[in-house]
Amino acid sequence: MKNSITTRLIVLLTLALAVIMGGGMLLDYRLSRQELLTRLNEEALVEIGVAVSDMENWLNGIEATTELLGRILEQQEYSHEGLQQMLRDVVVNNDEIFGAAIAVNSKFTEDARGFAPYYYVDNGTVSYADLAGAGADYQKQPWYSTPIAAGKALWTEPYFDTGGGEVNMTTFAVPVYRIDDKGNRAAYAVVTADVALTALQRVAGQLHLGESSYSLLFSKEGLMMNTRSQSRVMKHYSEISYRGVDLDRWHQMFSQALRGEPSTYDFPCPESEGHCTIRLGRLKTTGWPIGLVYNQQEVLSPLHQYQVKTFILGAVTLLLMAITVYLLISRLTRPLQQLSIATEHMARGEMDVALPQARGKDEVSRLVRSFNSMNKDLKAYIGDLETATANRSRLEGELTAARDIQMSMLPGSGEALWQQNGIDLWAKVRPAKTVGGDLYTYFQSDTHLFVAVGDVSDKGVPAALFMARAISLIQQLAGTATPPDKAMAELNNALERDNHSCMFVTLFLGVLNISSGQMRFASAGHTAPSLLRASEVVTVAQETGPALGLAEDQVYPINVLQLLKGDRLAVYTDGIDEAFNDKKEMYGVDRFNRELQACGELPVKDAGLLLFNSVDMHTGDLPQSDDITLLLLQYPSTTKQIENQSFQLGSGLTGRVQAWLEATLEQWKVAPESIMEFDLVAEEIVTNVQKYAGLEAGELLGLTVTVTAGSLALEARDQGKPFNPFEDGHRSELGADIDSAEIGGLGVHLITQLTDRQSYRRENGYNILRVEKGITGSGTEPPA
Amino acid sequence: MDLTTTVAIDEENSVARVALAGALNTDTAPAFELRLQDVVAAGHELTVLDMKDLDYISSAGLRVIFKAAKQTKSSGRKLAAANRKPHIDKVFEILKALPDMAVFANDQELDDYLDTMQRKAKGE
Repeated sequence: MKNSITTRLIVLLTLALAVIMGGGMLLDYRLSRQELLTRLNEEALVEIGVAVSDMENWLNGIEATTELLGRILEQQEYSHEGLQQMLRDVVVNNDEIFGAAIAVNSKFTEDARGFAPYYYVDNGTVSYADLAGAGADYQKQPWYSTPIAAGKALWTEPYFDTGGGEVNMTTFAVPVYRIDDKGNRAAYAVVTADVALTALQRVAGQLHLGESSYSLLFSKEGLMMNTRSQSRVMKHYSEISYRGVDLDRWHQMFSQALRGEPSTYDFPCPESEGHCTIRLGRLKTTGWPIGLVYNQQEVLSPLHQYQVKTFILGAVTLLLMAITVYLLISRLTRPLQQLSIATEHMARGEMDVALPQARGKDEVSRLVRSFNSMNKDLKAYIGDLETATANRSRLEGELTAARDIQMSMLPGSGEALWQQNGIDLWAKVRPAKTVGGDLYTYFQSDTHLFVAVGDVSDKGVPAALFMARAISLIQQLAGTATPPDKAMAELNNALERDNHSCMFVTLFLGVLNISSGQMRFASAGHTAPSLLRASEVVTVAQETGPALGLAEDQVYPINVLQLLKGDRLAVYTDGIDEAFNDKKEMYGVDRFNRELQACGELPVKDAGLLLFNSVDMHTGDLPQSDDITLLLLQYPSTTKQIENQSFQLGSGLTGRVQAWLEATLEQWKVAPESIMEFDLVAEEIVTNVQKYAGLEAGELLGLTVTVTAGSLALEARDQGKPFNPFEDGHRSELGADIDSAEIGGLGVHLITQLTDRQSYRRENGYNILRVEKGITGSGTEPPA
Repeated sequence: MDLTTTVAIDEENSVARVALAGALNTDTAPAFELRLQDVVAAGHELTVLDMKDLDYISSAGLRVIFKAAKQTKSSGRKLAAANRKPHIDKVFEILKALPDMAVFANDQELDDYLDTMQRKAKGE
């Protein structure tokens, strides 16, 4: 399934969609994120601004109330009670003011201790205290001395108020001056308003950004008035170790804030992951540095939520799309899958497999319909083929039977060897098709041998039927008693009768007088036979009549051939000489004669089979084009003499061979020159065998010498390694340097020059070297 | 058949006459080769192989003669064959054995040749 088109489509489409969608979402996320960040930043700034301005207003209110009280005191004289009443009203009416005091300069009071009423909030109720009555001189308190010394209203450093509210506080002190009658300006009193640090912290607490953020508030000297933990309040910032921010940084930021320059510093959050930020600025009203510490992560949490949301949305969309693609593609390609499975079944020959239903007009449906019709056609075609094959094998069976019957009409059923009275006769027919139109027959009666070889025009079944008729007629009408010319004329008339299809036969009819060797024969347009006599082959001259079966009352000339002892007659059909090879070259009569001569010493059967083989070698891979028939007739050779001898290889071999050869040939009365030359040839052959056959001393070399009328032959047989002296490269070049001439190499020239024919063959593990030479003057002349 | 070799040296004319009788074949060639080598090595101007009584020669024998002819020619001397019988002549012909050799059909030709050499030697 990995390679199925469905899987590939689903995977590819899903991937493509994922890439497109992912890209879109990424772009959207980028843009949205930027927008969100900007918005968050703006929101934070607005929030901080609002908180800071709230605080400024709150402090302004305190300052304004206190200054108003001071202004009033500057203008008018009040009784002690009146002052006390006014002061009490201020504390009661202003929640933000923890306590208020009017400390009059003791120079202007009757009492030497001075006058300093103080109202403050104690557990929800306004309490009164007389600061002049307390042990310490209030005019030495910093909240009194500092503003007078400075000559202006100011906020004191925070301090712990003893004797009054007993809380941490800071005081806004306004000096009040009066001008006496002489025009001298003198400090009359100091009006103060106390603000508890807890109240300040409450207001400053509105400044926050995120859950774990907290605000910072410092006095001008650097005392912490508000921070995360109450335990650090009233301590100097330099006493506090703050993780992530070193002291130098604090100094730098603090002094910047005092100058009114806002500063920001990022550092790793000490208590959680991510980065924290300190922003430090200055309150305009009081000049106090104010700051905010917040976790960026918390500020950006809306952004993170957005990221998670986007991711989940993307994943869900992608999953839905993948499912949709899978369902769609599966549905569309289901017929293809079914078709593929069906095709595999069909390939295994299961033609009845069900094909998917084709609905609609799309390509797949058309493909399915085409497949359906192809399947039907194939089924029909295979059915036809089976019928045709059955018919054909039946026909072939009949033809094979016909061939057996046809062959049974011929002696020996197509190949025959007959040996009587010293005569060897061998014949063979080989049709080009199962049956054919060639024929041969022979029979002996008393002193005569009847021989016929024929060739019906055309080949195959028509020729075979006509051949059957021809051979029956030959057996009826011809014979040793009737002269061949007369028999031929009768056969012609018989075959011509009712021969509407104009088939014809070429025929050789011969009658041999066995004792005299005289052969009388007639030919009806048949190829002239060849005669092997004394190692020479000639085509026999003949007079011939027309082919049989074409026209009646024809005359066929009689030919007479006198066979000599040792003669071999070859009668054949044109399937041999007209055999073509793939280069359109005919086998030809000349080649046939040469081959007939070459195997003249072999028995007729071996020679005949070699001739068939030679024709096959010529035609090569081409199918046999015509029927082939060959008949060989060997007239006995009473004068043929053979002598065999085996020799052990080793020293003196040449002498032993020559002694035997000379004795044999002299006994056969071969002429002395021929004996001498054969001696030389024998020596050269023996030398070659001894040198190149690779045999050990003591192994055997067989020699056969044969003499027939006019021919002398020597055959050497050894069991050495294959070596053909006529081809295997040891032959020396004549006239060349003697050093390059190998032993025996010169001798090959002598062998080829002194004999007429040389042949080499390898047979059953033997090297067989044969040479032949025509001779005269031997005592083996054939009888006249 | 055996081979009989007779060597006669004519020191005056620097001629070696080697007479062969019988058959020069595979069996007899090795012994003859040794004998001929000795004669050729003696450095006579002319070495004549008299084949008047040689009845038979095979390629093995001719090979020995070829080698000797080549050897004498390369040292500026001569090897000659004289009185070859027709069938010996035929073997020589077939193997094209003559280029390196002088050939004398009979004793008369050989004597004439020797006379000519003698005259040359005497500066006539």
